[in-house]
Amino acid sequence: MKRRAAPPRSIARRADAPVDLAVDVGPLRLRNPVLAASGTFGYGTEFLPYLKLADLGGFVTKGLSPRPRRGNAPPRTCETAAGMLNAIGLANVGVDAFLEEKLPALRDCGTVVIANVFGETRDEYVQVARRLNGAAGLHGIELNLSCPNTEKGGIAFGVSPPLIEEVVGAVRRAAPDLPLIVKLTPNITDIAVAARAAKVAGADILSLVNTFLGMAVDLKGRRPVLDNVVGGLSGPAIKPLALYMVHRVHREIDLPIIGMGGIASAVDALEFMVAGSSAVQVGTVNFFDPTASTRMVGDMEAWCRTQGVRRVRDLTGTLRLPAGMPGGRSAP
Amino acid sequence: MPFDVPARVLRHEALNPEHFLITLEAPRLARAARPGQFVMLQVREGHDPLLRRPMSICRVPPGGRTVQILYKVVGEGTRYLSHQPAGARLKMLGPLGNGFALPERAPRQTARRVGTRRPILVAGGIGVAVFPFLAETLQRLGRRPLLLFGARAHRDLAGLQLFRARRIPLRLATEDGSAGARGFVTRLLEPLLREKPRNGGVELYVCGPTPMMRAVGGLAVDAGVPCQLALESQMPCGIGVCLGCVVRCAPQVGEPVYRRVCTEGPIFPAAEVAW
Repeated sequence: MKRRAAPPRSIARRADAPVDLAVDVGPLRLRNPVLAASGTFGYGTEFLPYLKLADLGGFVTKGLSPRPRRGNAPPRTCETAAGMLNAIGLANVGVDAFLEEKLPALRDCGTVVIANVFGETRDEYVQVARRLNGAAGLHGIELNLSCPNTEKGGIAFGVSPPLIEEVVGAVRRAAPDLPLIVKLTPNITDIAVAARAAKVAGADILSLVNTFLGMAVDLKGRRPVLDNVVGGLSGPAIKPLALYMVHRVHREIDLPIIGMGGIASAVDALEFMVAGSSAVQVGTVNFFDPTASTRMVGDMEAWCRTQGVRRVRDLTGTLRLPAGMPGGRSAP
Repeated sequence: MPFDVPARVLRHEALNPEHFLITLEAPRLARAARPGQFVMLQVREGHDPLLRRPMSICRVPPGGRTVQILYKVVGEGTRYLSHQPAGARLKMLGPLGNGFALPERAPRQTARRVGTRRPILVAGGIGVAVFPFLAETLQRLGRRPLLLFGARAHRDLAGLQLFRARRIPLRLATEDGSAGARGFVTRLLEPLLREKPRNGGVELYVCGPTPMMRAVGGLAVDAGVPCQLALESQMPCGIGVCLGCVVRCAPQVGEPVYRRVCTEGPIFPAAEVAW
């Protein structure tokens, strides 16, 4: 074997030091900051041919409702510039099948399992949360607030601060034992307002952002591409938008953040941490590169080692802002 | 078990200005592949286009170390793919999907093939890409497949040499009459379905555009002939998690359901698909 020339001593010492990738996110302790995002990772077992779940910080299940849902008619997805639109329609097996069939299979998966929860009414959120509270092998719940409220004319819960307070408070009471993550929609004028409402109502952690509303047009047919007309935009295209929102919420609200939106590499993930995230979720990348999430963990460690960062958690919120601009500009 | 590999392009031939045959080196993937399965293939580095493209496995050439993919340039993604030179590496995930249900090995000549159905492969346009692998496998199982191939025009009848090299009989139809019979592929199929069944009759394997598969599937169901459809769909992930590629199915019992083309398919019995 060939020996490489020894690096200078100072670098060598840094390069040998182990990097601590563990992060504390409110009440959750994660082995590393990388979680797989809801709706992109099935119920976890789908990825067993490609990676070890234990190599992830954790993952979030497909959103669960009180009863199974078939979802929307196809076409449900459309590729866009560096991104994609989806309107799956929250298809899922329902909370009972999750507890009976999916969760037991994850008992020894060796990572943090978080159940994503949604409902069309406050009571549906509460029903699901109550069923999940105390379930063996479940480490937390994440509320999807992007769902339309059928009792209030279809307005998404997450765009109305009073509705956010109502549903987050009700779920907090229904599942007092589980760490509660509230996933914010970006489809609101000021996401900090939504973040504050979630905090007031008892959220432990914020995750942001969900997909941006968008659409695509079939010009020849003069029709929307998606059967649902409107879909959620995800992928690298939304990264700068999401990064800004993480920055804004981090400056305004004192709650740990799980950042997401277009993360496809360790560098992307670390940028989100510097902007204020304690951990990250990776979503769309799981579709086009199924081993990206766990490779990202290794790349993150390598980056920290070369930069002399001994604990990845030390990066959270270390963005250096221009002097005299403590919160950054509120508008460009 | 699927493999995600950086596959090297060994050959990349333009069969005509729009149709290409790419040969990729991927030994484990090639060995695991069955007819009717597919791969998710990266068309170039980077994030634009973002998603890999689902591609039928066209052939596993002798030696079993490579897979061939026959494709048509239909958009940006396939255009980028067509520019990939020999030596390039493209991420390829597969084999994916269920693959065709194959018949048992035919009994020896002495048994006079009593009760065995003759496989008819019905292709529309670039849907033909799934059939060379199937045809060769059926031959190895002692069957005599017949290819019916319909396309818009002569130039869309791509990959004929892959069948001719194996002496697979084929009948052609084009909408403009530039090759074979004028009209749709159903024109070739209908007389065969009307024939009095000899021995075991026929069974259909179908791949093509949706209207064509709907028409052929309907004819097969009406004639009571077994028929497998190889479906195509918008497919972001290929591994069953995005739920984007679903097709409406009406099982014999119970409510209509959406099934994932990538995992429950891409091969479906014609009688189950409710478009």
